[in-house]
Amino acid sequence: MFLIFKRLWQVNWAEQWQYRANLVMYLLYWLVSPIIYLAVWTSIATSKGDVNGFTANDFVTYYMILLIVDQMTSNIIIHIFGYKIQDGSLSGELIKPIHPMLTNTLVNDIAFKTLNLMWLVPIWLALAFVFKPDFSSVTLGGILFALPAIVLGYFINFLLSGAITSLAFWTTRVFSIHEFYYALILVFAGQFVPLKLMPELVQTIARFLPFQLFMYLPIQMIQGKLSTNEIMQGYFTGMIWLVVALTLFTFTWRRGVRRFSAVGA
Amino acid sequence: MSPTITVQNLSKTYQVPEREGGFSAAVKGFFKRKYKDVKAVQEVNFSIEQGEVVGFLGPNGAGKTTTLKMLAGLLHPTGGSANVLGFTPWELKPEYLRSMTLVMGQRNRLSWDIPAADSYLLNQAIYRIPDEEYKKTYKELDELLELEPLMKKPVRNLSLGERMKCEIAVGLLHRPKVLFLDEPTIGLDITGQARIREFLREYNKRTGATILLTSHYMADVTALCERIIIIHHGQLKYDGGIGDLSRRIAPFKLIGVLLAGSNGHNLSVYGEPIQNEEDAEKVYIQVKAEDVTTVTSRMLAELPIADISISDPPIENVIERAFNE
Repeated sequence: MFLIFKRLWQVNWAEQWQYRANLVMYLLYWLVSPIIYLAVWTSIATSKGDVNGFTANDFVTYYMILLIVDQMTSNIIIHIFGYKIQDGSLSGELIKPIHPMLTNTLVNDIAFKTLNLMWLVPIWLALAFVFKPDFSSVTLGGILFALPAIVLGYFINFLLSGAITSLAFWTTRVFSIHEFYYALILVFAGQFVPLKLMPELVQTIARFLPFQLFMYLPIQMIQGKLSTNEIMQGYFTGMIWLVVALTLFTFTWRRGVRRFSAVGA
Repeated sequence: MSPTITVQNLSKTYQVPEREGGFSAAVKGFFKRKYKDVKAVQEVNFSIEQGEVVGFLGPNGAGKTTTLKMLAGLLHPTGGSANVLGFTPWELKPEYLRSMTLVMGQRNRLSWDIPAADSYLLNQAIYRIPDEEYKKTYKELDELLELEPLMKKPVRNLSLGERMKCEIAVGLLHRPKVLFLDEPTIGLDITGQARIREFLREYNKRTGATILLTSHYMADVTALCERIIIIHHGQLKYDGGIGDLSRRIAPFKLIGVLLAGSNGHNLSVYGEPIQNEEDAEKVYIQVKAEDVTTVTSRMLAELPIADISISDPPIENVIERAFNE
């Protein structure tokens, strides 16, 4: 199995390099919204002194960390897999003795992510030069706490996206369903605004949803803003959602493949 | 020993959505879709022994590819059963997938952007081929197909024939016991076709693999298969030796003529005119093989002929004709 992943990595990594120009364009597009949130919130915080205890520097560091965390926990499988179902090119992968989504697509997504993070470094440094964040509250301990949360967030997100992508077996409108999923992330993962500044009700809902692991929780862990209790709670909800996401994915995937082979692969 | 492939009453009916054009039909279709049943394969029975090379023939839309896809596990049948190497194909058991291969002209196992060598190594890992065995198999495939010069180039830069060679070889790295080949020589020139054919014959001899192949080229089938199975409109029409088939169907030849000057001649007096899209300039007529000499000399005498050729009719026409008679 290790050898399969190693070879998959070599192939997918080489493939991603072929599309590096494409990738830079994607990255620039992706950067726009967090940078706008960063700029808007910092200017508000600067003029008012703080927003509910969030200072301008809190916002700057929040969004600077978000740029990295979001890049790590997000995925593009709807784009790299959805069309394979629709145009039938999945056939070739289905008759290989490995799971198409949990091997090839997973590795392809990670290769994409890794290359993106490489391009992000210079951009991130330039932004840091402009916004001058003060990272003094960031500790090594916080980062170590956040790493498993990021991995957990990535896999939950991957499996949920995978379940939605599998809907392409039934409908061609799968992209719009996925857009709705993005909208949920925007609100409940704390991209639009850090969750702490949301109404109490939204915060309560967010605590029961998986999305806060995609951005808010790891960011706050790195910033050293969470109590041990909150961290444990976050991990606990995350583990439950990992099981839920895996179940959802397996269910839609199996039903989908059966349907695929019924209507004509 | 039980046969390698057994197919019993295998059937596949597709439900194809159907609606008329226009706005109101579109709205109606949104709420209630109408479906039409298309019977692609109907109660087909056959069995194939280990080591046999069988040609699977039929006109377009006869159900060849559907049958092949069911045997490879890609399609669930709507009725009947199939057993290949002791497995039910559509359960997609990894052990089954590791012991067969499906090569379909357009579906590629090779990644477009990177050299074939990388895809080969990936397949070595996926099919768990030990290094020693991989090297041995690769060497054999290289001897037969001369792969080495193609391995380092990105697949997108290979010619169609080169790519087809790489596609077939990558599907054989794991030494499958059963090969399903859908049009393995499609789009290749004569030398390319001959080379693939020769290779398949050699592979069959060396490994004792069972091969079921579809092809549009009569030459593929006559060169490789002692036995052919013909299906037409989803039903099995013939299963037997290739020699018996030509005896059963009166053998035909195609005469192609290029006329000098005007085109006003009525050629249907010599035989049945045939459409040939590949060569629109020439006019083709189909005649019984035993009449070829007489008809040709008559035509040469009576028509202003610039060019004339005699060839085998495409297999589709032979079959179409055989079952329409």
